[in-house]
Amino acid sequence: MSAPEARQPTASVCPVCLRTIPARRETADGVTRLVKACPLHGEFSTPVWRGAPAFEGWLRPKTPSPPAEPATPRARGCPYDCGLCPDHGQHTCTALVEVTWRCNLTCPLCFASAGETPRPDPTPEAVARLLEGVMRHSGPCNIQLSGGEPTVRDDLPALVALAKGAGFPFVQLNTNGLRIAREDGYAEALAAAGLDSAFLQFDGVTQRPYEILRGRPLLEEKLAAVERLSRAGVGVVLVPTVVPGVNATELGAILRLGVERAPGVRGVHFQPVSYFGRHPGPPADAARITLPEVMTALEAQTGGLVRAADFSPPGCEHALCSFNASYLVGEDGGLTRLSRGGGNCCAPRPAAEGADKAKAYVARQWAAPRGAALPMAGPADDLDRFLARARTHIFAVSGMAFQDAWTLDLERLRGCCIHVAAPDGRLIPFCAYNLTATDGSPLHRSTAGRRTSHDAP
Amino acid sequence: MSTLKVLDGDYSGWRCAACGQSLVMAPAVLEYMGSRFEVELPRCPACGLTLVPEDLALGKMLEVEKLLEDK
Repeated sequence: MSAPEARQPTASVCPVCLRTIPARRETADGVTRLVKACPLHGEFSTPVWRGAPAFEGWLRPKTPSPPAEPATPRARGCPYDCGLCPDHGQHTCTALVEVTWRCNLTCPLCFASAGETPRPDPTPEAVARLLEGVMRHSGPCNIQLSGGEPTVRDDLPALVALAKGAGFPFVQLNTNGLRIAREDGYAEALAAAGLDSAFLQFDGVTQRPYEILRGRPLLEEKLAAVERLSRAGVGVVLVPTVVPGVNATELGAILRLGVERAPGVRGVHFQPVSYFGRHPGPPADAARITLPEVMTALEAQTGGLVRAADFSPPGCEHALCSFNASYLVGEDGGLTRLSRGGGNCCAPRPAAEGADKAKAYVARQWAAPRGAALPMAGPADDLDRFLARARTHIFAVSGMAFQDAWTLDLERLRGCCIHVAAPDGRLIPFCAYNLTATDGSPLHRSTAGRRTSHDAP
Repeated sequence: MSTLKVLDGDYSGWRCAACGQSLVMAPAVLEYMGSRFEVELPRCPACGLTLVPEDLALGKMLEVEKLLEDK
């Protein structure tokens, strides 16, 4: 086997004008950068992978699985034709449905429509139509209700029930957890409506990250939300947005806090910061943290409770978009790795196979465990003990790198399995949906019906 | 770690085809994808050949394998 090229061609967009331009991944001295040049706006070079596990070995090739019935035709090319178009290479694993654009926080980092007066919430009928569209195009995938902050809607339990009633087996709520922490009986109401899982913003184990990222100390409310959701039988996934200089030194402590609260907490999903909205210049290299840096930090900050070598590239989305590992939480709080770490260099698998597996995994792992272990007849052996514990105490550790205007790699985008159901019914890969140019204007996300500067080529 | 019986069946009637000896229960270590399980399995006292009965291989062992291969 020969070493992969140190310069891999791909394509991207100009961060200023969003026109499609050629790009390449250049690796030197353990750092891989996405390098691209716009004829009008010059060259851009952004780190996308730093350190170990090495970029060269982080592979999980897939044969593209295009949509069975593309909703939009091939016209201007990726990333303009989203809907999904015939060139998209992966099915929907999770469909995001935005149920409001209002929020009870004003986070400086938010990629949802910030700063403007939000549009009115979609009616329950409009949400139902979006769900029908998702079912028609993507089948019974996993649903994440998102926003804005969905809990500002008083009819949220009814929307959860609507999604479950529409035949989606796994419904997750993307939330900051504040209402859940404050309102007695709210977690139970969501659970009774059929909510399987909460994707809970959880930026640190001290107040500082919340003060910087969310504008307020929120730790007590986060911990109360974890407890209330766990008690109500809603699986909790802790989701830190990882920002250098803010909470990148707390990753190990967040992981330990999650493990201590298993099986109520089902896993931690780290999201390195990406930059949306107005940015006069490119974010500094030091303002970014790449996936291998998160993996390495987890090993260092947990004293080896988890190791960077434990993690694998995903079977569903593009290899460069995420990492994951599963562990069995022992009775002593120790972790036994379940998945085999490392990349898979040699055997491309159909993308659809990875999507099916990931869908089933997420639905099983991120929901609350089903029932306690049954008492065993006769003496238990090592295998019995393992199986009984695994029924409740598997813990998932994962990370996902969203792409912004500087890091967008169209090969990665075409492999995306997380699709936003846009208000007009199109399914748009998450990173394309949230993409903004340096002046803050969006590629796809509509802002109050106004045309954007990128509607025209 | 103690080793414990994983088999309820009686395997004393089994003989090693090569040595002709009756199998006896003996400690064995199952290893898969970095995990170790200490169990007891029927073994030939002469050559050490160990029997993994079909119902164990297709039952508990398969379940454990699938968990270890998760995702």
